[in-house]
Amino acid sequence: MNDLPRRSGAEAGAAVAVEGLSKVFPVPFRRKSITAVRDLNLRVEAGEVYGLLGPNGSGKSTTLKIILGLAAPTRGRTKIFGRDSSLVESRQAVGFLPENPYFYKFLTGEETLRFFGKLCRVNGSRLKSRVRELLELVGLTNARDQRLSTYSKGMLQRIGLAQALINEPKLVVLDEPTAGVDPAGSRDIRNLIVDLKQRGITVLLSSHLLTQVQEICDRVGILARGVLVREGHLEELIAIENRCELVLENASEALVKEIEKLATNSNARLIDRRKSTTTLERLFLEATQESESSAKHAK
Amino acid sequence: MSRVLFAFAMLLAFGVMKLPAEHALSLQHRSASGGQSDDIANLDLREKIGQLGFVAALSGFRAMLADFLFIQAHAAWERTEWGRVLFLFRQVTTLQPHVPLFWDMAAWHMAWNASAAAMNDPSQPRLALRVKAQREYFALGKDFLERGVKNNPDKPQLHEALARLYRDKYNDHARASEYFAKASALPGAASYDKRFSAYELSYCEGREREAYECLHGLYAKSEKERLPTLIKRLKFLEEKLNVPPEQRIPDKER
Amino acid sequence: MSERLHRGFSPARIFAISINTLIELTRQKVFYVLLLFALLLIGCSVFMARFTFQQEFQILKDISLGAMSIFSALLAIVGTARLIPQDIDDRTVYTILAKPIPRFEYLLGKLFGVLLLLAISIALMSALFVVVLYVRERTVLNETLRQMSRAPGEQLDAAVNAIRAAGLNIDILTGVAVIYLKACLLAALTLFVSTFATTNIFTVVVMVFVYFIGHLQATAREYWLEEQSAGWVARTFLAIVALIFPDLQAFNLVDEIVAGVAIPLVLLAKTALLGIFYTAIYTLAATFVFYGKEL
Ligand SMILES: Nc1ncnc2c1ncn2[C@@H]1O[C@H](COP(=O)(O)OP(=O)(O)O)[C@@H](O)[C@H]1O
Ligand SMILES: [Mg+2]
Repeated sequence: MNDLPRRSGAEAGAAVAVEGLSKVFPVPFRRKSITAVRDLNLRVEAGEVYGLLGPNGSGKSTTLKIILGLAAPTRGRTKIFGRDSSLVESRQAVGFLPENPYFYKFLTGEETLRFFGKLCRVNGSRLKSRVRELLELVGLTNARDQRLSTYSKGMLQRIGLAQALINEPKLVVLDEPTAGVDPAGSRDIRNLIVDLKQRGITVLLSSHLLTQVQEICDRVGILARGVLVREGHLEELIAIENRCELVLENASEALVKEIEKLATNSNARLIDRRKSTTTLERLFLEATQESESSAKHAK
Repeated sequence: MSRVLFAFAMLLAFGVMKLPAEHALSLQHRSASGGQSDDIANLDLREKIGQLGFVAALSGFRAMLADFLFIQAHAAWERTEWGRVLFLFRQVTTLQPHVPLFWDMAAWHMAWNASAAAMNDPSQPRLALRVKAQREYFALGKDFLERGVKNNPDKPQLHEALARLYRDKYNDHARASEYFAKASALPGAASYDKRFSAYELSYCEGREREAYECLHGLYAKSEKERLPTLIKRLKFLEEKLNVPPEQRIPDKER
Repeated sequence: MSERLHRGFSPARIFAISINTLIELTRQKVFYVLLLFALLLIGCSVFMARFTFQQEFQILKDISLGAMSIFSALLAIVGTARLIPQDIDDRTVYTILAKPIPRFEYLLGKLFGVLLLLAISIALMSALFVVVLYVRERTVLNETLRQMSRAPGEQLDAAVNAIRAAGLNIDILTGVAVIYLKACLLAALTLFVSTFATTNIFTVVVMVFVYFIGHLQATAREYWLEEQSAGWVARTFLAIVALIFPDLQAFNLVDEIVAGVAIPLVLLAKTALLGIFYTAIYTLAATFVFYGKEL
């Protein structure tokens, strides 16, 4: 990793670069095929938290798997810190938490971390201290000697996170880290992610529930049917150029009427008046619905 | 998918490479285990053990199948079903031709047990037929041992069994002597084989001199060989050959 | 700096996966097979009371070694068939391969785990077998000595020699080593099949098929090489069998060894070499297919 700064400009800065990526799954015994990802371009800058959002089946997991070299791209390529994902070395400073992680359930929490530590060639006293640290970090110190078969979903997710951090990675890839976890557990995981960011670790995560991740992502990309329909900094995305939304507290009905009148007098047109909602949620729905309808039109 | 096809092509290429070595190895294997009848795929075997047994025999169950049939033969013997004993032992020895025990047992059941039963068969009043049946069983026993010897030429046990058969059932002392002698020449032979060979020879008309030399040699060799029977046979021969008194062995041992 | 370390081949990493695989396999209750073996031996010994010691020892050896051969083949096939598909189904393979681990190291680790299990099981079975046979041999020996205490020395010697000859024989252990090689070969081949099989059942069925055909391979090969008269369809079929399938009959030296046939050392060495070669080739094929696999 020492040679990273020597790489030229933009290329070196990107923790993850996805260029023109497409992934087509052939459907056996039929002429059909499924395009899970279509001509995707993404960059995750070093040090940021990037959220890959989209409904189920939109190609998030497929994208992440290709980035990690677990699946081969049909077209295009992906790189981690400038190294092609097909190379084993590209995964050197990477931690991955798969969707619904499932580990060897006959191992205890501690044994699991030791196993993954050995796979990353962390050994001896360094492994020992690292395992202790991580168990502490994810709050599983008390459950360290319990077999994973007795772990709850949230605990599995946390041990999965600890496992992803065992080799002190510079990039952590989390596939649906909060899915299926209760609100409190989900909050813990989000805190951990914020913690990682503060330590300078790049995080690439995916989620189909953006309320859960919107507050921690620096940038998000929205995938729908394998196509990146929106991408950008959160504030930019939420701010729709020619629209603005007023959120008032303790406003009297008269004041609201007044404002409406002012609006109609000017060029502006009042489109809607509503209670404030999670704006990103709305954006998300809009973006994915747009893609739905354009898909229908195409037919 | 194309990778799988390529992998198979790779295996095929490796197959071409390994084929000569593998073929040579199995020929060596066969000659090490004593040859000819080891060809387990031969038709003879298939006929004898049936289709199912054939498949079993070919898949590493051969020894176990033989044991199973052997145990069945043992049970058939307990019920004195001689035909079945014969049938089962033929299968056993075909499956495991290199186990002397099976040949030995097969012959023993035929020549000793079945033959005696035939001789005492109450359902057959005519003596001539009983004798005929008995002789047939002797022949079956002899056949087992001869094939056993052919398959295991270096096993003294089977030569010895054949010698006993000639001695006890055929009264053929020359043959008995011959096979005891053959047994005694093989590694692992019992120490009495040589002596027995000489005893048998001493009963053969016209070969007394040979027998005398043999017995005398044994007598001279060690104290241990000077058993009562040996001394008796030696004295008998001394008498018969008119050995001069000064060359005769002392009357009283010890 | 650490990069060179990661790129290279790491026995320690493979070992970590092997040990993990071994634990995984032992959790799958494969050792029940060993229990079955023990029961078989004990049942066998009880049942053998009515036979002479030669017959008893012969049968004891045949059954023990036959059972060892079959159980180890079974363990190899059933144990290996699930390893990779299970990891893929459970997605544990994602966490492992998302680490900087070459796929061949992962496969080797898995295979060595099975080979370790096979070695342990065969060692345990052999130990049990040797103990039972040794105890029986001592018992028979003591009984004979007691019964023949007044017989002449020569007869006693002959009787003792007969018992020794029928009893424990060190050559049997070389036969056991060949059984192990056969199991290794089957494990590697199962690994290969499991890299492209769609279900575990498919793998096991294919392997059972291979097991039977493999024992016929030598016959097919001979017919193909020597029988020129067969039609081309038959000849092609025989050729494919001879070339693709392993010659499992070559690893059945145990029958001969129990029968007391002395197997020359050269022949043993060549058989061992053949087993190692097959194992290596099948592992290579498995690796090749696994590298192209979408996870
Ligand atoms: N191995 C596969 N074979 C065939 N189709 C697949 C495979 N993996 C994913 N897909 C398809 O690709 C699409 C995207 O899946 P995925 O990436 O898992 O979506 P997400 O993670 O966003 O829910 C889905 O339509 C899914 O059915
Ligand atoms: Mg997913």
